[in-house]
Amino acid sequence: MHAMPRSTARLAALALFALSARLLGAQAAETRPPAVPPSAEVRTSTEPAAAAQEAATEHAASGGHDDNDIITPHITDSHAIDVPSFSAPFVREVELPRWAPVHVGGYEIDLSPTKHVVMLLLAALIVISLLVLTARTQARQHDENGHTKGWAGGIEAMVLYIRNEVILPNVGPHGNAFVPFLLTLFFFILTANMLGLIPYGSTATGNISVTATLAAITFVVVEIAGMRAQGWGYLNTIFFWPHDMPLIMRVPMFLIISPIELAGKIARPFALAIRLFANMTAGHIVVLAFIGLIFYFHSIASGAPFLMAIAIMFLELFVALLQAFVFTLLASVFIGQVREAHH
Amino acid sequence: MPRLTFRFLSALTFVALSAAPAFAIEEGKKPVNLLAPNGGLMFWTLLIFIALVLILSRYAFKPLVAAVEAREKALEASLTQARADRDAASKLMAEQQAALDAARREAQQLVADGRAAGEKLKGDLLDAGKVQQAELLERARREISGEKERAIVELRREAVDLAIRGAGKVIEQNLDSAANRQLVENFLASVKAS
Repeated sequence: MHAMPRSTARLAALALFALSARLLGAQAAETRPPAVPPSAEVRTSTEPAAAAQEAATEHAASGGHDDNDIITPHITDSHAIDVPSFSAPFVREVELPRWAPVHVGGYEIDLSPTKHVVMLLLAALIVISLLVLTARTQARQHDENGHTKGWAGGIEAMVLYIRNEVILPNVGPHGNAFVPFLLTLFFFILTANMLGLIPYGSTATGNISVTATLAAITFVVVEIAGMRAQGWGYLNTIFFWPHDMPLIMRVPMFLIISPIELAGKIARPFALAIRLFANMTAGHIVVLAFIGLIFYFHSIASGAPFLMAIAIMFLELFVALLQAFVFTLLASVFIGQVREAHH
Repeated sequence: MPRLTFRFLSALTFVALSAAPAFAIEEGKKPVNLLAPNGGLMFWTLLIFIALVLILSRYAFKPLVAAVEAREKALEASLTQARADRDAASKLMAEQQAALDAARREAQQLVADGRAAGEKLKGDLLDAGKVQQAELLERARREISGEKERAIVELRREAVDLAIRGAGKVIEQNLDSAANRQLVENFLASVKAS
């Protein structure tokens, strides 16, 4: 759980940021009602300030989406994707198809593809082509000279490191069955994290729905692993029934500890989901805030937030790798914990 | 510098203000809730992830890990083979060394034996030569003494004959030749006896 303090701090920072922004925003809305928000400059600062002001006024008047906010569109999902363009802003929004919502038992689920769905698909395709190509190249190189080299060798080294140093020691004996799932988790999260760092990309893993689903899948895998490894003994991981205590102690202990055990079981995937989501989102908010400062300063002082944005971007690269690693590591640890008979 | 600080602070405030509508959008719009789950996205995530696990485990991780395990097994096998080969080679070498040592010892034994036999033969031959020499000497000495004896006998008969002839000549007339002869013979026998 060594990553816990970092992500907790980040979550706290995010919450604080959101809270203060909400308060200040409410205040701002009160104090300057329909006036042209001067922050329009943020989006269009490449043009002269006056022109920008006018353009912003026009844009705001024509009723597009909120131009003041550069951060929210970047960290939230939408029904449009950004694609490269050869003309002026070098970006073009392409609307994704909207499908009619599906009704499942009273719930309405909108299955139409969103930006994050596209990013997840892209990540999946990248991972598939990369790893399948690696497997092919490796097979060919094995036939030729008995060992792997170059790019395939690097990917193979990553796979082997995760497998031999992270998965197998933590999952415990006969852990080979979990290797494909955990390796997929690592490469998929890593690629999705990285996709948020490139231009026109978006961080699907910065969306709570995605991380919650991944955590839920992990939870199911963990619990099934526990059931398969322990049989009826699996119930001991929920119901606390110490055999070495007198009955008079056993009953109150059962009543006190069992809810805690259950809460612990549910808290682990919850922590997984929140950790990944918060790390990805917070980093992007910080980077975007610094980018906003660059355009606001509009002078030589812009160099400071520019350098800071670059530094945070490097940190983000590291965090992207770290969070994928941590997710995989913790999933392995949880599987290993539930598989060994404990309590 | 204070101006820069001021600008920085005001910029921070400003960004907070400008970002604010993201979290507290005007009354008419729905506020953005980052923690609100989206069922459709969850469904797609589930679908994509499960498909990814199936595809990757079938087409990527299985062959990848199998190849690595085969390589490890091959390395292990070749290491074991090399160890066995080295053991066999050293055993063979020890055997060769032993055989060489034995052959050398045998050769030395043969040389020593030959030398001893030669020495013995030489001694024997020398001894035999000496004995033969002594024998020859002895025989020669015996023959010489035999010849001498015979010569003496011969000489004595000759001398007797000559003496008889001379004495016969002297006393031819007066003496019975046989009686005289007996006389002389007796005399000679006494001489011989003395």
